[in-house]
Amino acid sequence: MSAAPAPTVTAVPAAPGRPGRRGRRPARLGVSAATRRQQARLGVLLVAPAVALMLVFLVFPVLNAVYYVFVDFDGLDVTPPWVGLGNFTELAQDRQVWAAAWNNLIWIVLGTVGPLVLGLTLALLLWGVRRGSTLYRIVFFLPYVLPQVAVGVVWGWIYAPTRGWLNRGLEAVGLGGLARGWLGDPDTALYAVIATAVWTATGFVFVIILSALRNVDTEQVDAAMLDGAGYLQRLRYVVLPQIRPVFLMVTALTLIGGFAVFDLVFVMTGGGPANATEVLGTYAYSNAFQLSRISYGTTLALVVTALAVPVAVWLDRLQRRAALDGGGA
Amino acid sequence: MRSSPKVLMVSACLLATACTGQTGSDDGGGGGGGDGANTLRYLIEQLEDADELTRLEEHLADFEESSGIDVQVQQLDVDTMRTVLQTQLRADDGPDVISWGSGPGSGGALAEAGLLYDLTDAYEENGWEVYDFAKERVTYDGRVYGIPGELETVGLYYNTQVLADVGIDPPRTLDELRAACRTISEAGLVPMAFGDQEGWPGSHLLSMALSSALGSDGMQALLAGEGSWESPEVVDALTFWQEANTNGWLGESPVSIDYDTMTALYISGEAAMIPTGSWFVNDLAIGADFESGYVPFPAPDGEGVFASGLGSGPFVSANTDNPEGAIELLDFLASEEHAQWVVENLQTIPARPVDTAGLDVDPLLAQVLEEVSALSEGGGGLGYNIDVLMPEAFNDVMFDGVQAVLTGQSTPAEVAAALQAASEQ
Repeated sequence: MSAAPAPTVTAVPAAPGRPGRRGRRPARLGVSAATRRQQARLGVLLVAPAVALMLVFLVFPVLNAVYYVFVDFDGLDVTPPWVGLGNFTELAQDRQVWAAAWNNLIWIVLGTVGPLVLGLTLALLLWGVRRGSTLYRIVFFLPYVLPQVAVGVVWGWIYAPTRGWLNRGLEAVGLGGLARGWLGDPDTALYAVIATAVWTATGFVFVIILSALRNVDTEQVDAAMLDGAGYLQRLRYVVLPQIRPVFLMVTALTLIGGFAVFDLVFVMTGGGPANATEVLGTYAYSNAFQLSRISYGTTLALVVTALAVPVAVWLDRLQRRAALDGGGA
Repeated sequence: MRSSPKVLMVSACLLATACTGQTGSDDGGGGGGGDGANTLRYLIEQLEDADELTRLEEHLADFEESSGIDVQVQQLDVDTMRTVLQTQLRADDGPDVISWGSGPGSGGALAEAGLLYDLTDAYEENGWEVYDFAKERVTYDGRVYGIPGELETVGLYYNTQVLADVGIDPPRTLDELRAACRTISEAGLVPMAFGDQEGWPGSHLLSMALSSALGSDGMQALLAGEGSWESPEVVDALTFWQEANTNGWLGESPVSIDYDTMTALYISGEAAMIPTGSWFVNDLAIGADFESGYVPFPAPDGEGVFASGLGSGPFVSANTDNPEGAIELLDFLASEEHAQWVVENLQTIPARPVDTAGLDVDPLLAQVLEEVSALSEGGGGLGYNIDVLMPEAFNDVMFDGVQAVLTGQSTPAEVAAALQAASEQ
């Protein structure tokens, strides 16, 4: 018995203009309807677990949250009253929200710029260093993998007014006049917490950028040097363009972290003193779980998400464009 | 209610005194928590360590033998408990008995939502003896829903040796307190150890100063909405603490210091006095190698009164399958035998009369017990610890307000106005 001829699959030529881009399906000529149905069933079967997980752990909670922002749920009433846009109206008029959002903004700026500058500087300094590179990468990366709660507790001790290392250090070098209760002073508390956050994030930025630097074409750097380019010029026109996608990725991660900041503030100051370090995350938490205003807290959380998503999308597109434009690393 | 970890631990201990045990009866079975028909599920606030639970289990052995009820203890930290409690109480397999705060925002809210079992008849049938004012705190809309937990007072501790060394007596008036602080400062010590990083210790400052200024009736009227939070007494109470902080009588940057550091400052002998609650007696008994005295915070024109409040106490779930067993458990928790055990082992004050004769009790606690008992039975002799009586939204404003006064972010008058606004919401 002769074997049946193998089905022939003929590829349709790609449409002119944007060859190879997504959205173009190859034709499935020669595949029987039964096979296609089997493949479809198999496909459904394969994606079903992922879809189920998504529905249970993502879609349902999000829809549930959306429901809560339109009612006034206190955690007790099983039939909370419908308030429509009332939570959003209150949010817009809540001065503490704006104060917390301002603190978030400060955090986003300093908490992003700080680690980027420090991490990039460290990476450039240690770019050419080979001996002990593993050791210093571990040392610098360690703060990033430590639990934020532990970091917050330890830095709370460092900032302690009477026995804290910072004040003792200042006194030891003759700067005792600067000593203060760093976390209890409304003028310094937020910046003290941000400094802790910068300390934890710098190692992450350093390790990622250092890895990117290892992929930089050093011949271009040498050529620029032969052409008389100074250090900053080589950095600006040769090095940074090659690591731009990675740089943008790190920027995106640290920047989005500024929107979602919670743990360090919660552990180190609880949002105090007198709301001086309150950010949207801690304000949402205190409303939802300490004041039993679940709906208002949920509304705040959704707003934080809504603010962060466009920025994340914008940075993602920027990164893709940089990669397509020939970014190296 | 927002309390120190120690307070929470003690509260949980009080309630957990009915955990574990074998059972003999066939009826009942917890709202589902138990594995069998003779079990009760008992949800309490997280204990501080395993040793606490061990001591409780040992104490409960008698109850278990006599009742035949197996009590399964489940612990949750207070924040998690606040989040999941109402869900658990609605569940078929939820707890039968819970340990929870007695304020209107705690037990009162659960009662209003129909989640608590009405114990009014059980009180009459079992003759549970608790102080009247404490019973009022677990009475909502004329019905009684719980057993009051331990009684807490807030006042001023002092190191007797330090005060003797600098030649002053325990302060009885505000002017005496001011003079004492100046003298202690000149001696190179911190007059009053204080830390308000968490916010709730600041409410104790206001509670004790205001209770002594207004007295029991005045505080009752204020908390009932019949007085104004913008009154001169409230502003003056906040102003005193502003003055104390400005003069350095509260140590360096008190808002940067947490409660544990605050107590360490006193126990280490670096501070001569400490404004805190009766739960601190236990810490002193364990950690301090000097003798302390405990007095009410001074009033502007004479001796003050202790501010008082209740810790968490046991409530029965409305959804329990075994109300008889749950009430039997509460009967044990309301007994004098249990109260004596609490005094001796947890060094806290039961919200009921207790005979301490023959008990091994710390002298300072014995003094506090005697004073509180006399005042409680006489009625009208105690002030109020504000944060266990007011809703969380008000407490939030109060915590922030006292911090703001101490850090100079707000004036006492501004904070008083904010308190008045919060009380009207």
